[in-house]
Formats: sequence, C-alpha cells, structure tokens
Amino acid sequence: MDLRAITDPESAAKCGVAHAAELVAFADAVVGDDDDALSDARERVRQALGPEGLVDAAAVASNFQRMVRIADSTGIPLDTPMSAMSGDIREELDLTSFGSASNTPVPSPVQLLLGRLFRPLAPYLMRLMARR
Amino acid sequence: MAIAQEVRNAADCPLCLERKQALPSRVNHAEHASSGELPATAVEAVHQITTDPGRLTHTWFEKCQADGLGDAHYVELVGVVVTVVSIDAFCRGLGVPLHPLPESQAGEPSRRRPTGALPESAWVPMIKESRATGDEADLYGSDRTGNVIRALSLVPDEVRGLTDLSAAHYLRPKDMMDLTRGTAGLDRLQVELLAGRVSALNECFY
Repeated sequence: MDLRAITDPESAAKCGVAHAAELVAFADAVVGDDDDALSDARERVRQALGPEGLVDAAAVASNFQRMVRIADSTGIPLDTPMSAMSGDIREELDLTSFGSASNTPVPSPVQLLLGRLFRPLAPYLMRLMARR
Repeated sequence: MAIAQEVRNAADCPLCLERKQALPSRVNHAEHASSGELPATAVEAVHQITTDPGRLTHTWFEKCQADGLGDAHYVELVGVVVTVVSIDAFCRGLGVPLHPLPESQAGEPSRRRPTGALPESAWVPMIKESRATGDEADLYGSDRTGNVIRALSLVPDEVRGLTDLSAAHYLRPKDMMDLTRGTAGLDRLQVELLAGRVSALNECFY
C-alpha cells in the first residue's frame, strides 16, 4: 500500500487498496461539515462496497473520530516500539508537523536502528502477542 | 448528560467555529454557545476536544487543571465526549438521525481512584499493564497494550466502555494485532486506510 494516500487524497486511486478513492472521500466527508458532500460520498461507498461495506466504513471512521480525541486530549506519546519502527514513515508523510507530535520524544539513533531491524518482523510479533 | 449535550452544542458554537478558522488573537466571541449546566472550564474542554482536537496542548490542559478541572474529572469528561462524538459520527456517516440523549439516572459517582494509576509520560496518570490488578485485572485483557487504550485508565470504566465500543466499530483487541483481520464489509487495508485518513485530517500524530 502506498501510504501517501493518507495525507494526499489525489494519490488514493493508485495506492493499492480496493476502492480507496471512495473510502478517502468518505473519510473526508465524515470529518468535514458539508452534508451534501457526505451524502455523495456515502452513495459512492454504497455503490462500490455495498451496504455492509458502508456500515463498516462509517463505523471505522467514527471509531477514529474517537481515538484521535483520546490520544490528543490526554497527551499520550506514541508507544516506543512504534515510534522506533515508523520514523521514516512519519517523515515521509510529514506527520511531525502536527502539533501533537510534541507529546512524543524523538527516538534515539539506537532506537531507530533497532526499529528498522525489527520492522519486518512486526506482523509476526503482533500475531504472537495476540495469541498470548 | 450535560457533557453529552455540550458535545452537540459545540457543533454550532460560533466561538469554536471562529477558533478553527482564525488565529486565537483574532477571535471575537468571548464565550461558547453552552447549555449553562457545566462550569466554564468544563464547557471549554468539551468544545475544544470535540471541535479542534489537533490544537490541544499541554499548556491548555494545565490551564484546565488550574481552573479547577481535576484530572479524574477531566478523564471522565473525555470519556463521555469521545463516546458521543463517535456514536454521532456513526449516525451522520450512515445518514440516520442522532439518537436522543437519555434521561440522566439518579445516583452518586463512586469517586474511586485506582491506586495503580500513576503519573508517567502522558498529561494524566495511567495504569501500567503490570499494575492492572485487583478490581482492574480485567482492564486490558493482555500484558501488553497501547497507550491509547491506557489513556483513560484513571477512570477504569472508561477503558471498559472504549473496549466495548471499539469492538463494535473497529476490531476486538486481539484482532487488532492480527493484520490479516478485517471487518465483515472491509478488508484490513481498507480499514487502516480509513483509520489513517481520519487521523491525518484531525492532525493526530499518535
């Protein structure tokens, strides 16, 4: 997946995710306040992914309307392993320009190095943790 | 219920609208459009978290504290705000009317402060996984969890409510860790694209 779709909606159509353009437009409309745009975006998602996909898209978007407010209102830092593994991604997407970036200490060079080494293993480690 | 009502008041609050669109020094409205049932500091917290979470700062949080909003009251307020924001966003996303707010029930707050909650890296005290014992033993369901799950643990029932709501809106905690898991209607890439886009629009670094 091309992660640039997250910060650049123009690149959504080619990001490697099915119906990404419809989903990104829907996310934009849910966060925005234009009811007509939301109505259009909702219909596009319904046509692309069916009613079940629309319900789940609304649910996931609303879930993250919640999670971002928990994170930013409590000042939590990014979890250290994630911070160490995702430094280059944050730079590429310019996430460090967000105000809430100040809640997370900059990882040390050693942490960044370890993060890069361990990143390919992350999906397997996460699955192991889930089993525990 | 007063906090929940303030979440809805914030949607049409002229002060919140002006703040989002202008530098703070250019804002003319002095007060939020409020029902008047909560102290001014609580109204400020509800409206700011609801309408412009990307501009919350530690200085702003400390001012809330200095103006009398205690840390446990603040955490519980956040829990109510985010619950209403997300359920209302779900209704809006589907194009169905918002649920009417229920009548408040009689009763007293427990005022119980978990002994496992301690200051660490966030603005509010949190319970570490290793200190989630006794009445809080059920809190995380695992010996490792994310800071965003622990964030509201000063009021443990807010973590329980968050877990229930996330299981319905997103994924159960165990399924989150398996990156092949999607929802009934979306694959995992689609789920995380939506999650990332909503987070980026809110300018959430976490």
